[in-house]
Amino acid sequence: MNKAILSVLGHDRPGIVAAVTGILFNLNCNIENVSQTILQTEFSGSFIVMMPPGLSLDDLHERFIENLTPGDLHVHIEPLLKKEAVPTTRESEPFVITTKGPDRRGLVAGISEIIAGHGVNITNLQAVFKGGDDPGDNIMIYEVDIPIDIDQQKLYRDLRAKAKSLTLNISIQHRNIFETINRI
Amino acid sequence: MLTDREIISTLEMLENENLDVRTVTLGINLLDCAGSSISHVKDKIYSKIAQLAQNLVPECDRIGQKYGIPVVNKRIAVSPIAVVGAALSSSQQVEISKALNAVAQEVNVDFIGGFSALVQKGIARGDRALIEAIPHALAATERVCASVNVATTRAGINMDAVLLMGQTIKKTAGLTADKDGIGCAKLCVFANIPQDIPFMAGAYLGIGEADAVINLGVSGPGVVKKAIDRALESKPDMDLGQISELIKKTAYKVTRVGELIGREVADNLKIPFGVVDLSLAPTPHVGDSVGEIFQSLGLLSIGVPGTTAALALLNDAVKKGGAFASSRVGGLSGAFIPVSEDLNISEAVRNGYIGLDKLEAITSVCSVGLDMVAIPGDTSEDSISAIIADEMAIGVINNKTTATRLIPVPGKAAGENAVFGGLLGQSTILPVNNGQGQNHFIRHGGLIPAPIQSLTN
Repeated sequence: MNKAILSVLGHDRPGIVAAVTGILFNLNCNIENVSQTILQTEFSGSFIVMMPPGLSLDDLHERFIENLTPGDLHVHIEPLLKKEAVPTTRESEPFVITTKGPDRRGLVAGISEIIAGHGVNITNLQAVFKGGDDPGDNIMIYEVDIPIDIDQQKLYRDLRAKAKSLTLNISIQHRNIFETINRI
Repeated sequence: MLTDREIISTLEMLENENLDVRTVTLGINLLDCAGSSISHVKDKIYSKIAQLAQNLVPECDRIGQKYGIPVVNKRIAVSPIAVVGAALSSSQQVEISKALNAVAQEVNVDFIGGFSALVQKGIARGDRALIEAIPHALAATERVCASVNVATTRAGINMDAVLLMGQTIKKTAGLTADKDGIGCAKLCVFANIPQDIPFMAGAYLGIGEADAVINLGVSGPGVVKKAIDRALESKPDMDLGQISELIKKTAYKVTRVGELIGREVADNLKIPFGVVDLSLAPTPHVGDSVGEIFQSLGLLSIGVPGTTAALALLNDAVKKGGAFASSRVGGLSGAFIPVSEDLNISEAVRNGYIGLDKLEAITSVCSVGLDMVAIPGDTSEDSISAIIADEMAIGVINNKTTATRLIPVPGKAAGENAVFGGLLGQSTILPVNNGQGQNHFIRHGGLIPAPIQSLTN
């Protein structure tokens, strides 16, 4: 049994998920994971599927080309390779880094460079830039896992310095505070 | 995955609505420090507090940074010193207060509470010595807070103690006359005092408490006000039931913050977690005021007709939200109305919207009492005692906590301004009916008996 990962991109409208999953169903593929979102007007979806014996990636791709309507959707399919056992991940704690500030080029690149430089993994990123100088219109929210063995104070200092250079207000908080306040 | 709305609304509470942890208060049992040798008692108190509290402030700061929520004050509450120092004289009790002040400075806490006595039914030797020591202790120290419980629903009101406290307040004001009687800002007189208040000046560690305990006080009047404002802006026809529900949900969120921080501080210090006290405790800053909530609810000002009903709604909703959020809610948990500490209430006094009578009335439905009320310096000890007695009666009959923190401002009259500074704020001095006169009722002394608990009409 082989697994594949499909990514589907295109202008959003009703029926895209139904079209994609209908093709998968007819090919006896089993969906294991789906993540779908809409960025402004564009649909973006990722699907991990288990393919039945005898179905090749080329067959799968061909069926999508033939049957997926509307035709302006782009499908990319890759095999999901069995990885070697992943080494034990470093013990870490979930934090949320939020920035607000005037829009300009290089905000995501600047902040994520610092995050990466400290070996911190981004697990989720939401960013909205409506442009202009209203800080509330230009927000980045990074959910990250910060390894407990790194120098957290240095990470904080570096992030604050980078935020200052980008004229951003930055908050760095343990994720639990958001869950505690908002969820029962 | 968190939603952007959850994150942004939480940040809004922290950045623009003054949500904070108002205090983490470490309760320390000092009963094992009791003795008849003053040097022995002082040394034991000092070393026990220094040892238990040494990591309190750094730990609170660290956890505050972790969650992005400031722990504004770090405090200590100790066993009633009247019990710990029962064998000591009044002047020796003053020495104890100085030792408490010194150790508070060493471990860098803002205040240390528990220079306290419980005299609701009678005054023991140590209690009397402590009460006598209060004026000198509060004048000689900066961080020591005192409280005396003179009444309970089960015992009644100890009118001898009430008179003694009227005299004590007057003396305390006199000894701190150069600062508008600020010593009295560190002295509360209580009915039905809870054993686990983290807020000052009433914090002490009750006799029934553990050897050490972390209690925590959260605040957030600004959060409640903004929640009401936002809701009414989007839905102006909300009825009071819906507003109550909104306050309840907001109180829930604020309490959850307290519980999270309190438990983590307690775990890291290896000290049991006690309670979260969810109280709307204002500061003299715009946007951090209980008084402003009344205006958001549609009243011209705190003090105008409708105030008592509005406060009843607010206080009840806060308690309900808090009780749902945590199974460890305690302390005072409700709305505070400290006149000088709340910019808006202080303004209401200055503009004549609220006076002593209405303040007393609304204490029947709030969580504390006549708090940080400046009165003329020439108010007699009889009249001060009588105000205390009235306030105690409200607590005793209604089976709730009430307290007074009255400041007779030396050399100043009604209408003048008293300035206490910092978080203690400032206030116009309120007139007192028959303020300078005698009061024969108070001078009868004795005990007003405990009230009947049935036929409650």
